[in-house]
Amino acid sequence: MVIKRDREREKGESSASMAATAAKGKVWEEEQPDTGMDELLAVLGYKVRTSDMPDVAQKLEQLEMAMGTTMEDGITHLGSDTVHYNPSDLSGWVQSMLSELNTASPSSNFDAISNQTAGSFSTTMLDFSNAKQLGDQCKIYSDDSEYDLRAIPGGAIYRSDKESDRGSGIKRMKSSLLEPEFDDSLTVATAAAAESARPVVLVDSQEAGVRLVHTLMACAEAVQQENLKLADALVKHVGLLAVSQAGAMRKVATYFAEALARRIYKIYPQDSLETYSDILQMHFYETCPYLKFAHFTANQGILEAFAGANRVHVIDFSLKQGMQWPALMQALALRPGGPPAFRLTGIGPPQPDNTDALQQVGWKLAQLAVTIGVEFEFHGFVANSLADLDASMLEIRPSEVEAVAVNSVFELHRLLARPGAIEKVLTSIKAMNPKIVTFAEQEANHNGAHFLDRFNEALHYYSTMFDSLESSGLTQPNGQDLVMSEVYLGRQICNVVACEGTDRVERHETLTQWRTRMDSAGFDPVHLGSNAFKQASMLLALFAGGDGYRVVENDGCLMLGWHTCPLIATSAWQLAAGDS
Amino acid sequence: MVVPLNTWILISNFKLAYNMLRRPDGTFNRHLAEFLDRKVPANANPVDGVFSFDVVIDRGTSLLSRIYRPASADGGVPSIADLEKPVGSDIVPVIIFFHGGSFAHSSANSAIYDTLCRRLVGNCNAVVVSVNYRRAPEDRYPCAYIDGWAALKWVNSRPWLQSPKDSKVHIYLAGDSSGGNIAHNVALRAVESGIEVLGNVLLNPMFGGETRTESEKRLDGKYFVTLQDRDWYWRAFLPEGEDRDHPACNPFGPKGISLEGVKFPRSLVAVAGLDLVQDWQLAYAEGLKRAGLEVNLLYLEKATIGFYLLPNNDHFYTVMDEISNFVSSNLCSVLLLGFLVLPFLSAASGNLSKGAFETASDWEMCEMIAAGVFYALHCQISVKGGAILR
Repeated sequence: MVIKRDREREKGESSASMAATAAKGKVWEEEQPDTGMDELLAVLGYKVRTSDMPDVAQKLEQLEMAMGTTMEDGITHLGSDTVHYNPSDLSGWVQSMLSELNTASPSSNFDAISNQTAGSFSTTMLDFSNAKQLGDQCKIYSDDSEYDLRAIPGGAIYRSDKESDRGSGIKRMKSSLLEPEFDDSLTVATAAAAESARPVVLVDSQEAGVRLVHTLMACAEAVQQENLKLADALVKHVGLLAVSQAGAMRKVATYFAEALARRIYKIYPQDSLETYSDILQMHFYETCPYLKFAHFTANQGILEAFAGANRVHVIDFSLKQGMQWPALMQALALRPGGPPAFRLTGIGPPQPDNTDALQQVGWKLAQLAVTIGVEFEFHGFVANSLADLDASMLEIRPSEVEAVAVNSVFELHRLLARPGAIEKVLTSIKAMNPKIVTFAEQEANHNGAHFLDRFNEALHYYSTMFDSLESSGLTQPNGQDLVMSEVYLGRQICNVVACEGTDRVERHETLTQWRTRMDSAGFDPVHLGSNAFKQASMLLALFAGGDGYRVVENDGCLMLGWHTCPLIATSAWQLAAGDS
Repeated sequence: MVVPLNTWILISNFKLAYNMLRRPDGTFNRHLAEFLDRKVPANANPVDGVFSFDVVIDRGTSLLSRIYRPASADGGVPSIADLEKPVGSDIVPVIIFFHGGSFAHSSANSAIYDTLCRRLVGNCNAVVVSVNYRRAPEDRYPCAYIDGWAALKWVNSRPWLQSPKDSKVHIYLAGDSSGGNIAHNVALRAVESGIEVLGNVLLNPMFGGETRTESEKRLDGKYFVTLQDRDWYWRAFLPEGEDRDHPACNPFGPKGISLEGVKFPRSLVAVAGLDLVQDWQLAYAEGLKRAGLEVNLLYLEKATIGFYLLPNNDHFYTVMDEISNFVSSNLCSVLLLGFLVLPFLSAASGNLSKGAFETASDWEMCEMIAAGVFYALHCQISVKGGAILR
């Protein structure tokens, strides 16, 4: 789908006319029922209802005719100036392009924005360099110039106005609204297949590596069967084998072996998981692009959702060192017409040394705000669990006054450790009346019912992760950042493998699983578009340093992976139409 | 419409998207291409009897390949240690597959090619290795060939891919569109280097030349493809300043080399009758034939490009059968029926047009002529009438 300034739908299109413009010429009998999706196209990644197909074909023909009259230049503008969304929804995509071509000079709007921005951007750059002179306090923000959002030419996300949806009749632009009408069995099957998919990327298929993996798995199996004597022998054997390995494989094996040993001997990590977790995450942030990607793509969505608002409020469920916000603040500062008033509510766990980490972050951001000329307000909330909060504590202002965004990076999965927690939090989020909810999560199923399955999934996931750290060339081997990043990941491994019950908080789930949950809780997807995709890809090329990172679009969400294995997924949501 | 509706929609969608991605100045909108391309991850859990996993063959170039294997008979889920378990049966064909996309589009993990490779596994009881070669215009000739060659060497050196019968890897090269072109060129290199390739399977292979052939003129813009876009892709792939008679594009053209006396593998070449570059594809088959090489030519009169992407037409099944026989065939020769006989017949009867074998008597005449042309004594003649009678 392509962003449109004007949300006029083609009037007069209805399912009745679809039937009338029936298959042209000879058409093979489709075996699936008319209300379902075309199964053959579905396998190839395109969701088209069989009943929509003649209409889609007709639109493709119309586009072809338009192409014929405008030469190649005419059509390539659709590639460069316009933003595309959710290519799997062929019907919507084709429709958008038709509308785009029919509207006169749509690209002029975007040109105007980027021209204005270019001017104001150079001014702000000077301000930002002043900020650098502030010295140490701002050191942690030095990365952000590399991914300034600027003003995004064209929309990063697909916004829907509830008004136009109400009156639009049978067909909807948002593919999410097509979902309930899909053939249920196919959706379920697809979801199930997707859920149980195991993407594997092997990098070094050496004999020793295979034996190591085999031994680890055998050990895990022994643990599952509570054959602790065997498990003990095997975990020691893993230690021996690991020594002869090199690089990522050795490190991963060592962490998994340690985690298994803890499980076998029932020695759970004594330190609070929160100790140094912020610092470890910062090193992880420096070493590889996963966090930067999450921040960047979430910010794209938030920035777009805040368009036109004079006061904005971001509720960050995972404030940590606040690394996500300078870039957003800077982009807001660059908005044509000036920045909105920016309020940030940061939530974080209690610190073991009782320092007020949240306020320190708030203060640093306030300083930045001063230098870039953004009115700034900060509140910090200390909470053991997000479920302890509710909307009334956060001083939510009416939506006409202040637009709200709720953001969470790698936090929501922790709520799955306690029954009812995620549901409570999702309800609270709805009560906050957000314009947009953005979250990033690990793309993995580390929350299955069986220990062995979790173990295997995690082994593969973290092997891929460690391999990307190793190969990306950004860091010198065993540089401090790299080691700290590995410790950061190692803690997650330990939690997934050694802990149970409420202690096991690293309960990662896949995007498919999160989608189902958000859908049931009354949220609709907000699609991230080709513009966000492109900028994320360019970001990676700029400083990821490794050729293997890939961004993939998946039904309106963006995933970052190492080679073909997705590892992180960012998605954006809004309250479902009819909910408020 | 000569194709099923969903095929028409699929190919038209590609055509539309691809038009947006090619810029008149020869550059390519790679970000949008990657955004639009529908990709699927590998899946080590068997689906319909096939599981897959990706391997980084060359860290330096990030060259990746997707391996597809038949699941074990009990359908059990392979563990990570099982992925590179030695192949079971006496002889297991290993098909190195190069996806199409005119050298610029698609990837090994594109949904259309993931699906096709899975079908090949089931159909041929083979292991399929789909190579994620570097693409134009960012990486021109000979990058794709270099990557293909790296993949071939890698496959050939995997102990777990050796057939137990003779401890050798039974390699076939296959590809559609640009992938077919790559297969040809990798085979050439294999011959020079002494790695044995048992056969080439080329589906609508991408070849061309400076001359405008009759089929190009006749079919330009008629079935999804235009000469203008073909020219664009060659300009994007070939070295700057080279024209379409470069041997990568026109292997048997004025700058081409003869394969006479060369131990080039036998080939299965499928040509779609509605593909505008068919004259070049037929010329390719003819070039192989002239060099005394075995060629099985499948001329599918009513097929368009991409017919093999969806299993909703007879051509699809015909080609799948042919490929299956080809990689399991121990025949020393497969009858080159349509190609040789047609000009003979046209001259003889003057009435029969290409592929218009309507009656049984036409077919008998074919067989007689064929028998006279070939030494049927030494070779088992297999007639795949369906393909040519369409």
